Amino acid sequence: MEEEKANEDTTSTYDKVVSLLNEASLLHKDSQKTNILRQVQELIIHKDPNLLDNFLDEMLAFQSDKSIDVKKVVISFMEDACKHDYGLLHKTLPCLQILLQDENVNVQKKVILTLPSLYKIMVSWLIKSKTMTDDKTFVWETMKAMKKKMFDMIDSENDGVRTHAVKFMEGIILVLSRKTSDSEVPKNIKPESDVTIDSIPEDHTLLKAKRLEEEGKKMFDVLLQFQGSPHISSINLMTVMGSLTNIAKQRPTFFGKVVQSFETLQVNLPPTLAKSQVSSVRKNLKMHMLSLLKHSASHDYLTQITTLLTDLGATNSEVMKNMPKIDESRKRKA
Amino acid sequence: AGGGRDVREGEERGRREELGGGMRGESKKGFCVRSFGTGNQVKLPGPALDKPNIYDFNTTYDEMYKDLHRKDPELYTQNGILHMLDRNRRIKPRPERFQACKDKFDIIVTCEERVYDQVIEDFESRVKEDMQPVHIINIDIQDNHEEATLGAFLILDLVTMLQDSEDLDNEIDEILQDFEGKSNRSVLHTLGFY
Repeated sequence: MEEEKANEDTTSTYDKVVSLLNEASLLHKDSQKTNILRQVQELIIHKDPNLLDNFLDEMLAFQSDKSIDVKKVVISFMEDACKHDYGLLHKTLPCLQILLQDENVNVQKKVILTLPSLYKIMVSWLIKSKTMTDDKTFVWETMKAMKKKMFDMIDSENDGVRTHAVKFMEGIILVLSRKTSDSEVPKNIKPESDVTIDSIPEDHTLLKAKRLEEEGKKMFDVLLQFQGSPHISSINLMTVMGSLTNIAKQRPTFFGKVVQSFETLQVNLPPTLAKSQVSSVRKNLKMHMLSLLKHSASHDYLTQITTLLTDLGATNSEVMKNMPKIDESRKRKA
Repeated sequence: AGGGRDVREGEERGRREELGGGMRGESKKGFCVRSFGTGNQVKLPGPALDKPNIYDFNTTYDEMYKDLHRKDPELYTQNGILHMLDRNRRIKPRPERFQACKDKFDIIVTCEERVYDQVIEDFESRVKEDMQPVHIINIDIQDNHEEATLGAFLILDLVTMLQDSEDLDNEIDEILQDFEGKSNRSVLHTLGFY
């Protein structure tokens, strides 16, 4: 009886998806179309994931829709679908690669935003696989090509594209680096499900931990260099400062270099910034310095950080309130 | 105005004439606007500077209205608070706290540096989702009727300029500098990520 009911449910979901997709292909108004596609996404990913395979191609076909909003929905669908079934990466990544070249920057930016989480999914998928298939190698190579493209995009003429490229690099650096005992872990990430270089087995045929770690460091240097570029825009600057702070807190190996880069920045703000932009940047810098101070890794850099904070106008009580807690092991050592 | 000072076009205390604004819908000027407080409580002026009326975010505007009407109808009519609460209760049931809101916005406008700081702090502490960026902009507007009315026009000017941009992320720096020049006020601006 129950089985029958389940079958019925599936059939009705199937029919519903078919009729929604038909409806979407006939509609002209973007908002209606995106609304329907979101419903399909909900049905085939969350309600009845067995249908995902059936309708994947139909959903992907909407990537060539004229509407920017429709394309953006399809991009978020692809991300969601891959989170659900890693094996779909070989179908979605080539689409994303095309969309990354879209003539509209908003589409490009949406793709860039999804790439770090897809990168993470890809690495954990590859780690789990014992044997390498053509599909997997293809996924790896496609992602590699997109990653390479990001190095161009950080030099894009478009401010927003550069901002997004910075966020991309932040995400990739966090994967391509090692965690330490004082690594801060974001609240929504379970420590055991976090993917980093540490999770890659030494004898993996495709993923070479050492080489990837080097690549992560290289990317980190690109961010440092970007922060130091003399004509950087205020938004780019604040974004990269935020990214470097996140990296320092989650991967304290980089802590010293980040503090040092902020010291250099503070005495060397880009001359192109307007007066109010300088205020915004200094305010951001102060906030990041306070949050770095709070981190246990700040112990070795207390003088630099507190001096910098005083220069940025932090009060004594603000500094004291954010002083790192001395943990027992350090106390004993001292 | 302590706890109730606003995020995003207008103030929790209520002056939304220009952008207008239902809870989620379009404002009179066609913008999709919502308004929030960022403090722990909602503070309204009281009989003296050190005696504000304090409510929590669960209190409806209607309850506040009735409470103040009972306490001193003359005072709260004369200082405009009852009028403001009356309008507010026709827009939405109660004030909303920004930090409790899960919805995503494209632009957040604050009217006081302290509130701007609270918004940024909130973004720093949020669990990150899809990293969708949001522009956070502060324009200082003094918390009184006259300034707020003027401020509403200023914010309308600003969001109209932002709306007209075809690629906001790329043009916002110039737009804000242009706005600063025109309005003779300085703004703070940064990017938050959801």
